[in-house]
Amino acid sequence: MIARHLEASGIPTVIMGCARDIVEHVGAPRYFWSNFPLGHSAGKPFDADSQHATLRGALALFDDAAKGATTVASKQTWSDDPGWEADFWRLDNLDAGKLAQLKADHERVRQVSAGIKQDT
Amino acid sequence: MIEYIPRSHAYYAAQGYKPYQWAHFEDAPFTPPAKPLSESRLVLISTAAPFRDELGDQGPGAAYNAEAKFFAVFTADIDPVPDLRISHIGYDRKHCAADDPNTWLPVAALHQAAADGRIGQLAQKLIGVPTNRSQRVTLEQDAPAAVEACRSLQADVALLVPT
Repeated sequence: MIARHLEASGIPTVIMGCARDIVEHVGAPRYFWSNFPLGHSAGKPFDADSQHATLRGALALFDDAAKGATTVASKQTWSDDPGWEADFWRLDNLDAGKLAQLKADHERVRQVSAGIKQDT
Repeated sequence: MIEYIPRSHAYYAAQGYKPYQWAHFEDAPFTPPAKPLSESRLVLISTAAPFRDELGDQGPGAAYNAEAKFFAVFTADIDPVPDLRISHIGYDRKHCAADDPNTWLPVAALHQAAADGRIGQLAQKLIGVPTNRSQRVTLEQDAPAAVEACRSLQADVALLVPT
C-alpha cells in the first residue's frame, strides 16, 4: 500500500519480496519475487552473488516494466529440496495444547502492540 | 510457491481468529521513471526496526518480539549501515536465521550498484515504515509520511524491501 501511494504521488517504485500472492493481491506497481523463505527478500544469507543478482533483477524493473502490476520472478531457487514450503504456518504438527499456546502468544503480542501505540 | 493468504487464514482460524482481510486492488498505479536509473537517486525503504538494547532479544534467531515494533515512519543514515532487525515480523523462523542483515537490508548491494553506475546515487538516508495491521493508519498516516520523506531526500525512485 505504501508503494501504491508513492507511485500515485509520482515516485516510481519496485518491491523486492517473497510472499507473491499477498503483494499481488494488494496490487503492487512493480514486484521482484524470490521464492525464498520469508526473511530473504534481498537474497540468500552470506551469499553476495545471490544478493547482487536479486538487486539486479529488481532494478531492471525500473527500466523494463511498461505498466502497473508487473511481477518478475527470480530465477534463483532456495534449495533442491522444496520441503521448506510445507513448514511455514504448518498445522498438521500442532495439537490443541500448542494451538492454545500460539493463541496466548498472539494475544500477548496484541496487548504489547496496543501498549506501544498508546505510548507513542 | 506458498499461497500465504489461504495458509494464514487456516493457521489463524485454527486458533479461533477470523481471517485477516488483506487489502485488495485490481489495478496498480504506475509512474514511468523520468530519467535513466543511472542518473536517478534511489531511496531504500524497509520494514526493519532499529535495534534498541532495552527491548529484549532482537536476534539473530529471536522469537517474535512485539516490544521491538515501531509505529511511525523514520529515516536513518545509510552509512554506516544502521542496525535494523526483523524480530518484530513474522518471518520464517525455521528457515531464516536472521543472521545476515543483507537478506532484508541490501545496503551493501546498493552501494555496489552505485559504484558500478547502475544507479545514479543512493539517498543518504533510508526510510523505515511500520508493519501496521491497520490499513487506515497505513493510508492516512504512514504512506503520506513516506512520500514526504522521499521528497525531502530528493529521491527519484524508491526500492521497497518488506520482510
